[in-house]
Amino acid sequence: MSNADELLRIEGIRKTFPGVVALDGVDFDLRRGEVHVLLGENGAGKSTLIKMLSGAYTPDAGRILAGGEEVRIHGAQDSERLGIATIYQEFNLVPDLTVAENIFLGRQPRRFGMIDRKTMEADAEVLLERVGVNVSPRARVRELGIARLQMVEIAKALSLNARVLIMDEPTAVLTSEEVEKLFSIVRKLREDGVGIVFITHHLEEIAALGDRVTVIRDGRSVGQVPASTPEDELVRLMVGRSIEQQYPRERADTGAALLSVEGLTRDGVFHDVSFQVHAGEVVGIAGLVGAGRTEVVRAVFGADPYDKGTVKVSGASIAKYDVNAAMTAGIGLIPEDRKGQGLVLGASVEENLGLVTMRAATRAGLVDLKRQHEAAGWIAQQLGVRMAGLGQHVRTLSGGNQQKVVIGKWLLAETKVLILDEPTRGIDVGAKVEIYQLINQLTAAGAAVLMISSDLPEVLGMSDRVLVMAQGRIAGELAADEATQDAVMALAVSTPTTEPEAGRGR
Amino acid sequence: MAADTLKSGAGAGGAAAVRRLLLDNGALTALIVLVIAMSALSGDFLTTDNLLNVGVQAAVTAILAFGVTFVIVSAGIDLSVGSVAALSATVLAWSATQHGVPVFLAVVLAVVTGIAAGLVNGFLIAYGKLPPFIATLAMLSVARGLSLVISEGSPIAFPDSVSHLGDTLGGWLPVPVLVMIVMGLIAAFVLGRTYIGRSMYAIGGNEEAARLSGLRVKKQKLAIYALSGVFAAAAGIVLASRLSSAQPQAADGYELDAIAAVVIGGASLAGGTGKASGTLIGALILAVLRNGLNLLSVSAFWQQVVIGVVIALAVLLDTVRRKAGATPVAGGAGANGGKGKQAATYGLAAVVTVAIVGATSFLHSGSSSAANPKVGLALSTLNNPFFVQIQAGAKAEAKKLGVDLTVTDAQNDASQQANQLQNFTSSGLDSIIVNPVDSDAASNSVNAADKAKIPVIAVDRGVNEATVDALVASDNVAGGELAAQTVAEKLGGEGKIVILQGQAGTSAARERAEGFAKGLKAYPGIQVVAQQPADFDRTKGLDVMSNLLQAHPDVQGVIAANDEMALGAIKALGSKAGKSVSVVGFDGTPDGLKAVKDGTLYASVAQQPTQLGKIAVDNALKALQGEKVEQTVKVPVKVVTKENVAGFSG
Repeated sequence: MSNADELLRIEGIRKTFPGVVALDGVDFDLRRGEVHVLLGENGAGKSTLIKMLSGAYTPDAGRILAGGEEVRIHGAQDSERLGIATIYQEFNLVPDLTVAENIFLGRQPRRFGMIDRKTMEADAEVLLERVGVNVSPRARVRELGIARLQMVEIAKALSLNARVLIMDEPTAVLTSEEVEKLFSIVRKLREDGVGIVFITHHLEEIAALGDRVTVIRDGRSVGQVPASTPEDELVRLMVGRSIEQQYPRERADTGAALLSVEGLTRDGVFHDVSFQVHAGEVVGIAGLVGAGRTEVVRAVFGADPYDKGTVKVSGASIAKYDVNAAMTAGIGLIPEDRKGQGLVLGASVEENLGLVTMRAATRAGLVDLKRQHEAAGWIAQQLGVRMAGLGQHVRTLSGGNQQKVVIGKWLLAETKVLILDEPTRGIDVGAKVEIYQLINQLTAAGAAVLMISSDLPEVLGMSDRVLVMAQGRIAGELAADEATQDAVMALAVSTPTTEPEAGRGR
Repeated sequence: MAADTLKSGAGAGGAAAVRRLLLDNGALTALIVLVIAMSALSGDFLTTDNLLNVGVQAAVTAILAFGVTFVIVSAGIDLSVGSVAALSATVLAWSATQHGVPVFLAVVLAVVTGIAAGLVNGFLIAYGKLPPFIATLAMLSVARGLSLVISEGSPIAFPDSVSHLGDTLGGWLPVPVLVMIVMGLIAAFVLGRTYIGRSMYAIGGNEEAARLSGLRVKKQKLAIYALSGVFAAAAGIVLASRLSSAQPQAADGYELDAIAAVVIGGASLAGGTGKASGTLIGALILAVLRNGLNLLSVSAFWQQVVIGVVIALAVLLDTVRRKAGATPVAGGAGANGGKGKQAATYGLAAVVTVAIVGATSFLHSGSSSAANPKVGLALSTLNNPFFVQIQAGAKAEAKKLGVDLTVTDAQNDASQQANQLQNFTSSGLDSIIVNPVDSDAASNSVNAADKAKIPVIAVDRGVNEATVDALVASDNVAGGELAAQTVAEKLGGEGKIVILQGQAGTSAARERAEGFAKGLKAYPGIQVVAQQPADFDRTKGLDVMSNLLQAHPDVQGVIAANDEMALGAIKALGSKAGKSVSVVGFDGTPDGLKAVKDGTLYASVAQQPTQLGKIAVDNALKALQGEKVEQTVKVPVKVVTKENVAGFSG
């Protein structure tokens, strides 16, 4: 029964954590020279599964076979010995060491007890060439962009002679060009006989790259299908029901302008940015990474300073660089970096939900904890946050549920203008739709929504109007019916110029 | 509330609740293990009196630590609390005693001082963007310096009405314990219920997320450090009232005890976690250890080793417990995690017990037969050969006379010495020999011993405002005069000299300085170009002398208030020592005498420390046997120069 091409087989794996059954009967196998896609909603158990292979967790029941023999993987050393390398979403690189040092970290070639830099850099050069990336082995990792960091990670995996390469959502942070490049590297590795476990939420990537797909739902493997399976079918397998519409935008009646931004400028970062968002409207901001989108909305929210321009809510201008003034005016921000800026990871769901309203719930210095508790319980239920209880640490929630908590804290504060920066990054299809429906509810209730997203179908599917930014300026505005991928991309790569009269002479 | 799904329902009711409490709180387990170990090893430990002592001894650290808890929960650090405590107490005493400010106002002033120091810390950190470590390190130095400036280096008597804070209520309940409990409840309330308390957790957990959720992080930080300052001020007042005097050098190094207490109590230095109850337990662990080790007569040097090991083990216990219990639903609370965690906890608890029992019984100095009289010797420090020699003399005499001698080392900290004397009293020794850190500060403790009818002999330094049965001492003032005279004669009554003074605030430093001044009066040709303190310390003597040489390269003589500083000065002088510059030291320690023999030290005013120790033990024995002892026993001092050094052995 054991196939000569089979690298890895997992049978009936089960893993429980107190209170949670993370995996319950997962089967999976990987052959030489294939890309096997692991598909599932966030929280379905994909991460737990790959952590078993990298030795971070050990299974409670079930078998792992490598090359036909049963193995136990108790730590990183075991998995390294078996030729399994994992590239996580968060890279394991030391920023202040060079590329070569990172590739050989802990295994640097030595001569007379000193590190043999020459050999190390030469070896690194060969590996980097194999990956097809043009980086000097002597460059510091800190200076590299995200795409190149990923290539360094892949080179590191190759240096370990990995036969199995596990990639956890490698495309989540890449631009479409970079994704293409990554795919060509993965295809090359596949030709070399490496088995690749590929995790992604982008269904279109499956057909482009994958050979087989294993779908995991609620800790069980629910099916193994060829990569050519239609997307609808994959979604149905993944969420256990079919999703009618991926972008269920329901347009609400548009009211008066709630948020008006005029001539907003921070020298060298963004220039003369003006736009309005009306009540009941979703305005999307599209553009390439680095176009200044996040910087603009952070300035609007008062998180960062700006040099010129005004921000008005319902006609009243608000002080710059003052988060509290923006909050009082009714602006809320769901930041791009959910874990770094949106959540207190070590605190409970209840505490995170109560963060924004804490001041309002304070009388004479005392927080009305009972009211906070009730409010948190109510909103968590409204949003359908899947959790063990309000006391659960948000660190242990899945990405989609974490995002619901971030949104929930602003909903409790009765926010009128909600700014969403990459609201669905790293979130599975099912949770995405739930967040879109939340946006619908908000606009139906007369709120204004400003949404940044690098996911073009999402911007096009959910926005009533699309602003495209390029090089720190608004390059153009498209109504929903004229916004196509081509039109947006054309503006995104343009070089906009500011009309001479606008926003000058202040 | 949550995640009860997999939990076993075994062990009904109270027992299960207790077990869960212990498993959830490693520090509490460690404390209980310690208490059990100490009770098993010492019959004197588990008495009401002694447990109250432990409470009193924990009070100052605990109150400081409550304040530090706020700071650590918000991911900061406050190194200045010890100094701020001393400064607040000094301000109180100075304004009330020396400037007639009403006591109530003086207390307010002390608290305001604490707040002000905290606000400065907070401002530097929140608006100046200084790392908390650096900002509060600066405040540590500034506050200590200011308290020395205000007090001019001497302890100031504390107003009586405030000193009652160091007394007992109804004759048994110590007020410091009460204050500790009240401050603890306030801290728990602030952390759990108030806006600023909840903000501390949010800021400590993720400062940027807190800011983007509308928390005014900078203002909150100001308030957090100010709160820490308030608690430091309260601790300072309690500390000073126990000693009935405000000591400018009080609470030196206490910030580290406070931080240790907070971390032992389960807080993370990375911020976001921590509880007042944990901090209290941490402070109690430290106090139980010190108290127990005193009662067990563990050698003063080994005590420090044991304390360090226990701190590490206590935190390790908690870390292992957490790691075993670290699960994706850790927040779901409850005692889940199963057998691994329990095994880890119990295993480590066993290791702690074995370590403590083993160490203490191993270090327990010798077999004590019940018949031998027991005497305690409370030394100010063992970081100085002079006192080590007192100890040696006392030990030799005790052995000869068949006396069980227990020695403690107060590390020059008056309040630690008060604790040690309290422990001596409550463990029912037959006699106590005290070498006070400070003559004023020891009075309360000595009075307590008098009340318990335990004879007290003072050695080297007297005790003010308390009756001791005898004082065994060399005459510091007379010795100072001799030192001055020796230098002046050597220089032929003409020349420039510098004086290295002892640690500001100690009576020995004051008295010797007085003697120097008296002695120099007779020699108007001698010009004192500089007087600087070098804290009786050789390294500091070297540094201070090097600095002074930059300003006064032509100096011809040096008077140092002890041999250690003299030897430091000689190092700084290099080849000049003994040739163009004459150095005179004080004490006649072995190193000093050797330098006299070598000619680098011109002379030392020799006390005879081994004699001091010997005679003190003799008198203690006489006193406890009811024989009459003389009020003052003067041990002669002598100027030792190269001519007569051969006859001295120290």
